[in-house]
Amino acid sequence: MISHATLQTSNRIIAAIVGGYAFTWGFTALGIAVMVAMGIDFHEAETGMSLVAFLVFLGLFLWTFATASMIRVWLVLAVGATLMMVIALLLQNSLLS
Amino acid sequence: MFNSLRMSMGWVHTWMGLVLGFVLMICFFFGALSVFDREIDRWSIPDTRFKPQPMPSFDEVLKPVFFEKLKPDPVDMAATEKRVIGPLPNPETMELESLFAYTTHRDPVLRVGGEFGIPNEPKDATDDHLHVHGRGTVDPRTGEMLSDDALKIGSEWFYPMHFSLNLSWMMLGYWIVGLAALMMLAALVTGVIIHRKLFSEFFTFRPRKHVLRSSLDLHNVTGVVALPFHFFFAFTGLVIFASNVYLPVSHTTLEPLHEQHEVQEAARTGLPHEEAGVAAPIASVDSMVAEAKRRWAERDMAGEVGFLYMNHLGDENGYVSIYRAGSDRVALVGEGIHFKASTGEIIREDPPRSVVASIDEFLTGLHLQHFEHWLLRWLYVFGGLLGAICIATGFVLFVEKRKAKHAKTGSQGSRIVDAMAVTTVTGMVLAAVGMLVANRLLPADLADKGQWEQTAFWSVWGLAFLHAAWRSAPVAQARRNPAWREQAWVLAGLSLSAVVLNWTTTGDHLIKTLFTDTYWAVAGVDLSLIVTAVIGIYAARKLKAAELAKAQSNKGAKRRKQVNAYD
Repeated sequence: MISHATLQTSNRIIAAIVGGYAFTWGFTALGIAVMVAMGIDFHEAETGMSLVAFLVFLGLFLWTFATASMIRVWLVLAVGATLMMVIALLLQNSLLS
Repeated sequence: MFNSLRMSMGWVHTWMGLVLGFVLMICFFFGALSVFDREIDRWSIPDTRFKPQPMPSFDEVLKPVFFEKLKPDPVDMAATEKRVIGPLPNPETMELESLFAYTTHRDPVLRVGGEFGIPNEPKDATDDHLHVHGRGTVDPRTGEMLSDDALKIGSEWFYPMHFSLNLSWMMLGYWIVGLAALMMLAALVTGVIIHRKLFSEFFTFRPRKHVLRSSLDLHNVTGVVALPFHFFFAFTGLVIFASNVYLPVSHTTLEPLHEQHEVQEAARTGLPHEEAGVAAPIASVDSMVAEAKRRWAERDMAGEVGFLYMNHLGDENGYVSIYRAGSDRVALVGEGIHFKASTGEIIREDPPRSVVASIDEFLTGLHLQHFEHWLLRWLYVFGGLLGAICIATGFVLFVEKRKAKHAKTGSQGSRIVDAMAVTTVTGMVLAAVGMLVANRLLPADLADKGQWEQTAFWSVWGLAFLHAAWRSAPVAQARRNPAWREQAWVLAGLSLSAVVLNWTTTGDHLIKTLFTDTYWAVAGVDLSLIVTAVIGIYAARKLKAAELAKAQSNKGAKRRKQVNAYD
């Protein structure tokens, strides 16, 4: 029998690592796409985002443990990640055509 | 789940730090060794104990190396065979499509490699860039290929250990290290949050107090004094692998955009992305090198060639890229000048870096440290070891805080953590030194010698773990694991025997390498081994003394109790 506390802790760890990673991925993809749309060189944008991405991930990771409501955590991470991915892909499509 | 910010941050610090601390020990220790990876290579391959050499002449020395001696790697052949339809052609007949040669100011030997073209179609249509790789090590004085059985223990084992754990399956090692690096950043931030009086704690050290106090102080000092160092290395480590391993958006989500950019880039720089399909000869590469050097000198940055790259070999679209060795500045190789391979005319000179690229090159260059600065090199080693001390004292803290309670409740928690700590502190150093001993004991012409050395490395580490676990029972009674002391003795013995074995098998003793025929690479490794032995002996004696004192006081307490009983 898994205790309630163990479940809660696992939920936080998974949110912090998996959710945080997904958000960071979306953030990076969107950041690069937006910068390329603004006329910045692709590799410049990629390098710039890699310098920012892990700080964002670190912030999200700690925030996940510091915040009281896990529902809010999952909402921000999942919705944020999906939204940024969709916009990044749409932006890419318009840049290609 | 947590009542306050400090509590939640404390939880992250303790538990994430504990679980990934075992990995971080590996990163910091082997990272510290990587600072002198080339020197450890010299120690482990005595045939290469000569002075660092500049990039040799391509036309005279390297041409026969690439076009006659370099062959497709059998391991990569087998891996590529699985990805393509039909059998691969005979490796003897495969033609080189691109090649590189790489050296630094610390390399006597030259690394070379290339991609061999294959006619096969891929099984997966999206699987492009199909090649078989070949690689080798060359004596630049003669153009002779060195045996691939000789593992470069420094740069091919200790160095990849610190970022990939040498676990190549599914890149698992990279991902574990990446997570550990993120946890290092988190541990630093949470560590600052949970310590209110950071400034005063920084000046507090109570070595004679209880183990808990003194290790807490040491944990705080090593964490805080080198905080920027630790943060920097964990952070840049992630950035270095960002675009290829951790966040490869340009090869996945944004691949179409990236491809479009590559094609436009090729058009803009004039460096052809594809072959023309028309055969062409290769002009003198030596005169291209001379021209590149002349142009660098004109820019007031005369230098040597660090990296030479040639693409589309034997094709009309072939080009030669020559990069300057970054021995005198933080950023890596650079100032690339590109030539048309068939004529030797200049296609392009790389423009000055943009701001973002400069920041990135500075940060990654500072991590990879290819420049020449021996004092800073040693500071890196000490920084890395400070990180290791910080993590190791963290383990001690974890155990010391809990072992009395665990002894009462019958929990095995602190016992297990302590055994793991022994394995990742003394056990890890034993594995590294044990590998060096194996390197000197195994005959030089043994087939697959490098493989045997790796086996020795893992075996010593495995034995250290078994020993630590076998001797761990006292921890469950709130006493100390004697494995700490015993492994410290073995470490001292192994380190000294490595020095002696180096002397007897190569004739390079310290009087020779320090005074009569100075060769710092080997002398430095020998001296470091002696220092390791001294620390091992000191620690073992200290632990023994502490055990005796504890036993004495326990006896005294018992006797007093008995005396009282007679009253």
